[in-house]
Amino acid sequence: MTQNPWRQRLYHTLLWLIALAFFSPVLWIFLSAFKTVGEIVSPQPVFLFRPTMDNIVRVVTGPNFLEYLKMSFILSIGSVLIALVVSFLAAYSFSRYRPTGTNFIMFLLLSTRMVPASAVVIPIFLLYNVLGWSKTVHGMILFYAMFSIPFSLWILKGFLDGVSMRYDETALINGGSRLHTMFRVVLPQVKPGLVAAFIFNILFVWNEFLFNYILGGQGSTMIPVLLATGVKQGGMTDWSFIAATSLIYMLPPIIAIYIFQKYLLVGMTFGTVRGEV
Amino acid sequence: MAQTTLPVDNQMATARQTARKRMPWARALDENRFFPTLLLVPILIFFIVWNVVPLLWLLGVSFYRYKLTAARPPSYVGFENFIDIWKSTEVWGLLGRTLSFMVLTVGGATLLGMLLGFLFWGSGKLPGRRLALTLLFTPMVLPPVAVGTFFRLIYDPIFGIANFFTQLLIGQRFDFLGNKDLAFGATIAVDIWMWTPFMILMTLAALGSVPKAELEAAEIDQIPWLKRIWYIILPNGKFILMLGILLRTIDAFKTTDLPYLMTNGGPGNTTEFVGLSLYRTGFEAFQMGDASALAIITLLVAIAFASIYLYVLSYRETRAQLK
Amino acid sequence: MTPRDISRVQADLLRSATERGMSRRQLMVRGMALGLSATALAGLISAYKPAAAAAQDSPLAGKTIDMTILGIAGWPPSRLGVDMANELFKPFAKETYGYDVNFAFEEAPFESLFQKAATSLQSGSAQYNIIISDSQWLGALAEPGWIVRLNDIIAENPDLDIKFEEAAAIGYRIYPDGSDNIYGFPQEGDTIALFVRQDLMSDQAERDAYKAANDGEDLPQTYDEWLEVDMDRYERVCKHFTRPDDNLFGTAFQWSKVYDFVSCYAYPFMWSNGGQTWDPATGQVEGILNSEVNIAGLEWNKKFLQYAPPGATNYGIAEEVDVFTAGTVATCLQWSALGVQMMNQVAGEAIGTVADDTRPVKPEMVLITPPPGFRQDDDSLKRIYTLGGQPWVINAFNDEDHQQVAIDYMKFWYQKDTQLEFARRGGNPTMVDVLEDPDFDAMQPQFPAFKYMIRENRSQDFWHDPNYAEMLAVQQEAWNGFLTDVVPDAKLAMDYTACKQQEILYDAGRSDIEASEACNDISI
Repeated sequence: MTQNPWRQRLYHTLLWLIALAFFSPVLWIFLSAFKTVGEIVSPQPVFLFRPTMDNIVRVVTGPNFLEYLKMSFILSIGSVLIALVVSFLAAYSFSRYRPTGTNFIMFLLLSTRMVPASAVVIPIFLLYNVLGWSKTVHGMILFYAMFSIPFSLWILKGFLDGVSMRYDETALINGGSRLHTMFRVVLPQVKPGLVAAFIFNILFVWNEFLFNYILGGQGSTMIPVLLATGVKQGGMTDWSFIAATSLIYMLPPIIAIYIFQKYLLVGMTFGTVRGEV
Repeated sequence: MAQTTLPVDNQMATARQTARKRMPWARALDENRFFPTLLLVPILIFFIVWNVVPLLWLLGVSFYRYKLTAARPPSYVGFENFIDIWKSTEVWGLLGRTLSFMVLTVGGATLLGMLLGFLFWGSGKLPGRRLALTLLFTPMVLPPVAVGTFFRLIYDPIFGIANFFTQLLIGQRFDFLGNKDLAFGATIAVDIWMWTPFMILMTLAALGSVPKAELEAAEIDQIPWLKRIWYIILPNGKFILMLGILLRTIDAFKTTDLPYLMTNGGPGNTTEFVGLSLYRTGFEAFQMGDASALAIITLLVAIAFASIYLYVLSYRETRAQLK
Repeated sequence: MTPRDISRVQADLLRSATERGMSRRQLMVRGMALGLSATALAGLISAYKPAAAAAQDSPLAGKTIDMTILGIAGWPPSRLGVDMANELFKPFAKETYGYDVNFAFEEAPFESLFQKAATSLQSGSAQYNIIISDSQWLGALAEPGWIVRLNDIIAENPDLDIKFEEAAAIGYRIYPDGSDNIYGFPQEGDTIALFVRQDLMSDQAERDAYKAANDGEDLPQTYDEWLEVDMDRYERVCKHFTRPDDNLFGTAFQWSKVYDFVSCYAYPFMWSNGGQTWDPATGQVEGILNSEVNIAGLEWNKKFLQYAPPGATNYGIAEEVDVFTAGTVATCLQWSALGVQMMNQVAGEAIGTVADDTRPVKPEMVLITPPPGFRQDDDSLKRIYTLGGQPWVINAFNDEDHQQVAIDYMKFWYQKDTQLEFARRGGNPTMVDVLEDPDFDAMQPQFPAFKYMIRENRSQDFWHDPNYAEMLAVQQEAWNGFLTDVVPDAKLAMDYTACKQQEILYDAGRSDIEASEACNDISI
């Protein structure tokens, strides 16, 4: 944009300051993970302190932590993978065959996001009881898959629309089956969309609380429920527990954002990248 | 995106090479003229089981007086639940408050997000850009329980770091969450902080979908910036931006976590929103009839918003334009 | 886990903890979960020996039963109900009845425990065999037939015909109010207590300054002196210690809108002056709740906000602990069950063991007394404060085996020795026998105040109606609204609450009394 090195430097400093400003409340929570409760709840904010690892150790060795963390991974990855497969099939159909009502159905699917969670949790709970799915891992995974489908569908449809029909035609003319065309020829073209949909949906499932709290049981519970139940200890707010748990629990998504950042940015363009992201 | 810019012929060759083997069942599939519909079966199953069924249940129950914790069985009351809502001054207050919350928080996050998105647009050479953007996006991934609980502390007049800085800068402390004139704004501020990064992301993506060639042409022609935004950037990025706004609008309208944890709707009812009230009616009082009616209304409002957005976008036209 | 396992795990824990350099508090918290010494255990088991033939008689002999208790997350008394089951009742059941039993603890945050219980019970599930509930929930749990009516069980098991303090016997047990239907057993008793910074009160300079400002009246020094303190004198004390520039304030109550916080701490200002909540027989609220006395009571309660730290309108249980242990308030009204936390000491360890060195308030600085009294026309002092604590209730969908174990456990739980052990570990018992034990008062610093307040109906509960959640929500909104000036005056707040509650009861068919015409014009 500009050739002046000073202006450039100023511009870069400004950008970093903005990023840090947004990060600072998170940083304050992270710092609290290394403080004693007395230092967290102090009338004079404590900036300098001797960091303690006690909180982290206490959280990690605490009851259920590792088990729930494992469940967070299983539920979020499992459900989003299922959602991606289901959405890809549908997106392919919508993009390639344009069945009547495509736009309407796409819109309808988006409406699943519009229903307030606290309103549908009861019917779904009742439904799960009839099916015998409450407290099961597959029950949770399938539910979260539904949670992740609309957005995945929108992203993938966008990307597929951007992939020329000539791929399909060539593959089919050369004797490829429809499935072959879909999965071996077209699918690789929308990889950025897949990754973006994957990351984006995982961020949502990763922090979901209400449904997991009501529908989940021992063996299908994730960390957010642990966070909510552990907020109070002995009638007090367990500040160091929240801080330490949040710190650990945020690391995987933060790392994912760092690694897959490019895909996240590209993915949100719905396959219409023409410039810099 | 590397793949799509590769010469198409190259790709075709790969397609040809790998397209040899055919399974018998795959052949059967190929000849099936219902193939496009077949692809939709899984998604429709998901849609019906997890969306249509609960929605029908909600719709059905909204015509009943049905309290989970009452001894008496559900009784059909027709539109009474809806009429009660229509007549209730509290619900109208609730809807109004929720709407203004939604407008302010979505508006704030969008404006700020677009502004910062533009600012970060040319940041290709920023040292440590990847890390900077990662830090910028962290508010989005903070667990809601942590946000709510810790912001109560951050805002606290005695212990809060926010007040430490106000004291330092203007020599005054504020009871952000306890003062009736501040709590609403303080809640909005946190929501904007959480979701501005999302709008930055969407803005960056929107800007990414603007053809480079057109921008370069504009640069050469020295077209003023406002015109560039209006004629080049907006038409290309409109769809992505609007989708971002739409998603935020829907979520903001049913915000529950944040006020529940930070203020519990207080002081008094100043931060009591539809989502919170729905939670109380359905989940604390277990008045399923009333809650379902309110949920249906919420859904209708959300659908109305979405339709307006999509109309503004005229989705199909935009897509056609993009091709 | 057998006792041997327990001691092995304890040893492991100790070793690994010392290796990692865990703080004593953490060690203690985790150690508590595992148990007390083997001697205490053996003593307890031998203390209670029913007929020797019982082991053969029990239809459950030889079986293994898994029980689940749903309780409040992070709330030590709830946790004790499970820990003591596994450590003490388990070996006891093996010896006495000949069956094996394991107890699991399902935790739920207090504000959403009812949701967890209700959604499960609604589906007819026996997932939670015993549920630690809040007293107000009794109606909502009993009305749909989710929990067991205990009258017949008590008739069949004389061991369960226990004499509790009257406040507890009503508050934690009876639904509908005024009937003799028993639905719960008191698990944790609780009352409001006054927590006083004794170091400030006995500071000579403070005393001199206070005397000079108050016509020679001294600051209360002892438990007995505090017993004679009325609200006016208490206000003078609060005023004396309110110095925002030094970051010191006179008092803190619970004024938050969350759950029942502000209600619990505003009711005493009404009840103690003769105000009523409602008429449980007819369901009349309007005209009773919004009486002159109650309106004045709410205003009186708000008066204390000026002596509280800014932000106090968001104070609940946890915020009070934080603000008190940070040394910011001189006194504090708080549940007596929080005794250990308010004193910054370690539960279950010797009195005076500091939990967090970085907090300025240490155990020896704190005195726990009954809350101030209200001066009556005849110059006597009266206290009617709100009852806290929780009952536990038995799931009606339990099969016979689980039901039997639940009953056996209750019988064990209400043995005097079990209750004394519960008290020793920090729980608040409500059995008359236990409270009268000569050792009782010295067991926990909060016990004298707790005992005083649980007796002679100095504490009482409000409604147990199934519609409590809606009634509570409007009340919390209006009362907290008045405290924060969202609702301009107390009369409006009380009128609104009474009207709305009347409407809720009428709509639900719980009362034949309709809200009056005047209610149509009232909104906040």
